[in-house]
Amino acid sequence: MLTYVLKRVLQSALVLLVVGLVAFSMFQFVGDPIDNMLGQERTDADIARLRTELGLDQPFPVQYYKFLENAVQGDFGVSYRQGRPVAEILVERAPATLELAAVSGFLAISIGIGLGVLTAIRKDGFLANAIMSLSLIGVSLPTFLIGILLIYLFSVELGWLPAFGRGDVVHIGWWSTGLLTGSGLKAIILPAITLGLYQMTLIMRLVRSEMLEVLRQDYVRFARARGLKDRTVNFRHALKNTLVPVITVTGLQLGSIIAFAIITETVFQWPGVGLLFINAVQFVDIPVMAAYLMLISVMFVGINLIVDLLYFAIDPRLRTDGKGAH
Amino acid sequence: MKHLVSAAVLAAVCAAPVAAEEFKWAGTTDPQTMDPHAVNSAPVLGFLNNVYEGLVRRGKDMSIEPALATSWEPIGEGEGWRFHLREGVTFHDGSTFDAEDVLFSYERASNEVSDTRSWFAPVSEVKIVDSKTVDIMTSAPNPIFPDSIANWMIVDKGWAEANNAALPDKENGNYATLNANGTGAFMVTEREPDLRTQLKPFDGWWGEATHNITVAEFTPIQNSATAVAALLSGEVDMINPVPIQDAQRLQGQDGVQVIQGIEARVIMLGFAQEADVLKYGADAGKPNPFQDARVREAVSKAVNVDAILKTIMRGNAEPASQLVSPAMRGYSAANMDRPTYDPEGAKALLAEAGYADGFAFGLKCPNNRYLNDEAVCQAVTAMLAKVGISAQLDAMPVSNYWPELRADNFDMYLLGWSPGTFDAEHPIRFLAHTPNSEKKLGSWNFGGYSNAKIDEMLPMIQSEIDDGKRQMMLDESAAILQAETAYVPMYVQPLVWGARDNVSLTQRPDNFFILRWVSLQ
Repeated sequence: MLTYVLKRVLQSALVLLVVGLVAFSMFQFVGDPIDNMLGQERTDADIARLRTELGLDQPFPVQYYKFLENAVQGDFGVSYRQGRPVAEILVERAPATLELAAVSGFLAISIGIGLGVLTAIRKDGFLANAIMSLSLIGVSLPTFLIGILLIYLFSVELGWLPAFGRGDVVHIGWWSTGLLTGSGLKAIILPAITLGLYQMTLIMRLVRSEMLEVLRQDYVRFARARGLKDRTVNFRHALKNTLVPVITVTGLQLGSIIAFAIITETVFQWPGVGLLFINAVQFVDIPVMAAYLMLISVMFVGINLIVDLLYFAIDPRLRTDGKGAH
Repeated sequence: MKHLVSAAVLAAVCAAPVAAEEFKWAGTTDPQTMDPHAVNSAPVLGFLNNVYEGLVRRGKDMSIEPALATSWEPIGEGEGWRFHLREGVTFHDGSTFDAEDVLFSYERASNEVSDTRSWFAPVSEVKIVDSKTVDIMTSAPNPIFPDSIANWMIVDKGWAEANNAALPDKENGNYATLNANGTGAFMVTEREPDLRTQLKPFDGWWGEATHNITVAEFTPIQNSATAVAALLSGEVDMINPVPIQDAQRLQGQDGVQVIQGIEARVIMLGFAQEADVLKYGADAGKPNPFQDARVREAVSKAVNVDAILKTIMRGNAEPASQLVSPAMRGYSAANMDRPTYDPEGAKALLAEAGYADGFAFGLKCPNNRYLNDEAVCQAVTAMLAKVGISAQLDAMPVSNYWPELRADNFDMYLLGWSPGTFDAEHPIRFLAHTPNSEKKLGSWNFGGYSNAKIDEMLPMIQSEIDDGKRQMMLDESAAILQAETAYVPMYVQPLVWGARDNVSLTQRPDNFFILRWVSLQ
């Protein structure tokens, strides 16, 4: 057990280091931040001075090493664009993204499972077919288009919901939440739907196919033969058994919800880390890009590690020593 | 009942003007800093013009008018300028404005770490005469010095020193990055970088407020479609810019207006003139045809600027004949004609230069710097193909673009230039003078255009006190640049803002949005 965990943790650390190295080697292709930091009346001397000051005259492995050296001490540098510590900016921006991810994840799971069960039970019904066809939109339309469509419908035409921003926020310690104010709640609806739509359709389709599988199984037939109510059969016996793969997929998707919030955040001007990252790329704000990418990879690696460990705990076959096997 | 409702509506309408006039506006770029000396960029200076003030400022027509100085005059035979400071001016924190603050702001803004340093290159010394008089000495006569410092903003000495912000710190930030203490009509009351910045009128302002704003809030919205939606839904009262392709549609919508003008920025084509060989395309390695003025002239005749303006700019821009637009000081009316579209003439010129069969080369272009820049380059490429020269277009984000230009990786390139001083001398200094990093001249002359007469005239233009003589030299420079087709100026970039119907505002060609000229009905 301990060897397995240790091995996985070491592997994860290695992945992180490689991600960082690749990221830093990419930064030189994003462009040169110098021109964004200096005005049009800059001289060659100004350019040279700033380049040295930021350490951009060093080869990228050296830059990476310096970043790592500072990062392990908790110092992620200072944003080129904002002139503020990156860690401070990330802490300020993280709640917006996490709240958005949580709400859209919740929507995706609850609606996805509900619709999945519905479309499985009424396999050939009109409603089920309509939902299945509509769900294709969620899978095939790009996020930014869905976002813009929702904005035009609900903000411009109907005027019900705000087109951008997070509404009023309440600060609780370092955390800022928009879930406690009316305008904040209204503001999160459209971005959450936009962000969660893909995951929702994914979960729905997964639940549906799992359900169809399970509904064919003998124990469900026996349950029906015993005269149990449809609802009991469908939800207590069938649904429960479809949830194992759903949970796996959802766990992995949570990471992508946070990572892919970039596009949604840009469309809705949602003040989270995704928008911060996009701005950083445009400005070639290397410290912010580096910190964001490392953070996201830590998150992905972390989630994968947890999933691996959970499998280990759940699935006895993985315990190669055979003690767990019956 | 009906009467009651209409009475209520009437009451609401009547009550409206008394209510707080909250004004919200959005732009694509958040000002990076609140420090007026840290970053010399239009988003920062434009925003801070509402908060800080200089000795002089620009009016609605861009003319120089008194601000913190009530009057100024040249000293002696052009040894410098004497500024008489305004009495009774206080900073937002209540401290008094005087000559010490001017001297301090000079030292702060001209420091090596300040991005505004180049404005003070002509200055040799700043002397306090008394608490309300300051002499700014220049190393040579400098007739346009007052014009060149309209964006030099005065910071309170005591405030900056007390908060450890005696110098700007762009790299690490300091107190002045997030806080502001100016003398302007508005104060920064809340600042969340990248999210929102709230301004409130400064009650102690020396001028008379003509606006009726009680609170103003700026939000950056990067996505232009979102910004347009926010304007249409009334969540913001004004957006800058409106995408050109949306301007017409927006104009037809109820409740919003589109405000159009032209910016100070001239969009032009530049050439590699120093390079001996072409670098891109099928003819890479062969002698560089752009060293021949006839080839450059052929390009200017082959590009159909009117067509570009009509299709890509949707009729919003104006053709340009020289490196500055007609609104700029020193514009050469004598050289206001630009080459007419003449593909046959272009072919004849190419044949004369020995390129009857054309040639291939590389055109570098940004794709997110100027309005529809990539589309313009595509059009140029197609137009050049018609006269037999084939451009290999390479468009890229601006962050990659400048390094490419600095590394001389181009045969032809696209450039936009907005003169910071609003004077025709500015582009000569940066674009036309032979590159010379020691003298800090020609720093944006990527192609290496060089003409001894231009180099000789620049210092004379800079120090000529007599307006007539100065204009003659500017005319001559413009004529030389045209005759040699140093650049191909194409058009003056349009300025398109959108606002709710109830907003009246003034659009200035420098794309600065001045809040004190806003009123809400």
